[in-house]
Amino acid sequence: MIRADRLSKTFRVHKKAPGFVGSVKSLFRREWVTKHAVREVSFHVGEGEIVGLVGANGAGKTTIVKMLAGIIHPTSGDSEVLGFRPWERDNRFRRQIALVMGQKQQLWWDLPAADCFLLLKEIYRIPDAAYRERLDYLATALEVTKELNVQIRRLSLGERMKMELIAALLHAPRVVFLDEPTIGLDLTAQRAIRDFLLKYREDHRPAMILTSHYMEDIETLCERLLIIREGEIVYDGRLDAVVANFADRKLVTAHLRAGEPIAASNGNLADLGDVQEANERVVTLSVPRTQVARAASEILRRYPVADLTIEEADIGVIIERIMRARGDQKP
Amino acid sequence: MSPSLFFQIVSVEARKRMSYRVDFWINAVVGFFVQFGIAWFLWTAVYRESGAATIGGYTVNGMVLYFAAAQLLGRIARGLEMDGAISQDVYDGQLSRYLVYPAGFFRFKYAQQLGAMLPIAIQLVLCGAWVPLFIALPSDVHVTLATVAGALVAVLAANFLNFLATIPIQAVSFWADNVWSLMIAYRFLSALLGGQMVPLTVFPDWAKPVLTVLPFRFLYAFPVDTLLGRVSLLAWAGDMAILFAWCAVFGLLARVVWRRASLVYTGVGM
Repeated sequence: MIRADRLSKTFRVHKKAPGFVGSVKSLFRREWVTKHAVREVSFHVGEGEIVGLVGANGAGKTTIVKMLAGIIHPTSGDSEVLGFRPWERDNRFRRQIALVMGQKQQLWWDLPAADCFLLLKEIYRIPDAAYRERLDYLATALEVTKELNVQIRRLSLGERMKMELIAALLHAPRVVFLDEPTIGLDLTAQRAIRDFLLKYREDHRPAMILTSHYMEDIETLCERLLIIREGEIVYDGRLDAVVANFADRKLVTAHLRAGEPIAASNGNLADLGDVQEANERVVTLSVPRTQVARAASEILRRYPVADLTIEEADIGVIIERIMRARGDQKP
Repeated sequence: MSPSLFFQIVSVEARKRMSYRVDFWINAVVGFFVQFGIAWFLWTAVYRESGAATIGGYTVNGMVLYFAAAQLLGRIARGLEMDGAISQDVYDGQLSRYLVYPAGFFRFKYAQQLGAMLPIAIQLVLCGAWVPLFIALPSDVHVTLATVAGALVAVLAANFLNFLATIPIQAVSFWADNVWSLMIAYRFLSALLGGQMVPLTVFPDWAKPVLTVLPFRFLYAFPVDTLLGRVSLLAWAGDMAILFAWCAVFGLLARVVWRRASLVYTGVGM
């Protein structure tokens, strides 16, 4: 449904020296910097798939979404969404996609949501019966039926985002781009939106691309992950495979029995792995995967262990490491 | 764009403008009485000091009426503050949401502009009815149902012309980001050369033929002269034809500029 083929986007950005003198200088002569926002990105998203697009700020996530939604033209490369080239903006294409931008208000601030939805009904030519049925389904699922006639600007942030979701999904799009849909929301609202998106995916099977800085969004909603760093995709695969591919260490944690003496001959903990924490109550080591069994048995031998756990490294930490690593570094 | 969508956009925009009734009524009163008051004090002073019975063929009452009508109809012709809406959309990235809609962007914006004007039209009708209480209509002014209807058509066409004429100017925002000053310059120039500030008959003789061939007079002087009964039916029809020819020219220019501009749009602010 969505295919990106070596998509690239370059921007020319004006660079201004700080201060008053810099402002005056820039009136006469400007320094321009070429920024490669996206570099030869290729991927494919199928029906019913929710793909997480993650990366640090400025990595190029939103630029990719904008190109796939047809808002901006790529500098090079090609793309096909539902059989259309997005930036040609064919109305048949635009009728089948939706874009939700968590940081940008799309509904009309001074009007109640119900009025905005009526306008969208006309824009997307939704038949009366389908409109009523979908609005009822979406408003019920998101629990905002009572707020439909309240002016948008009087709604809470969470309610407003729910209205934005309804607005985006009223025309039953086959492709949905969600750009940080839970940004700034409290935990309850975040969970409500995640639960809704899961249910919506189950019921309607659209292809979705989700960008988010919240790992819980990614872990709950996406089976597949695209990690983007400095405009390039550095990982494209299953979420759970990130751990296998990038986490070469595990965490071994031993909780010690209180009051029992620690043998003087327990040796140097650093021989077993990187020491994360070591005191009379707990010992935590980061250990290479191949050394886990040896490290665990040594800890059991040397310390009065009450409980021992072996954990995979936190997926969020791994992804963050991949995102932050420089191009020439192994994460 | 289907007619039902067009009217829905007009309706939404009008409802938006009428959401705040205090603002609506203050706008109506200030918009009318302030403009009318300025016209009265300014032109009675000018006529008194100059000692002239007519200026540019207008008596003092005729001039006050012209000035007030030019200010009020000019608000419709300019589409209120909406004449900079496209460049604002480019500047703050709001254009992105319109590009996702399966609807023509220009038609969408034009419908919004029309919707924004509807409440102003209501204000004008409500306030215009009071005019005869303040000023006696001079003998050279003949306001009839036919001139009101002709002025209505002319001002709607003027609004359309202004909408198309500002698109190439607003499109500069794709490259320069902020074109506020450019729009102010355009507003001032079109108001001066189009007869919103003073009637075109006041200009020196050498300037009159130039002003006649420029498109600006269709924005202000033409609808006002039509309303005050100074344009014959034949002249009105001829001017309407020229007005639409200008629309075609600016429409074509807008299309060409837009095609190039949309290639450089970055959606900044999104």
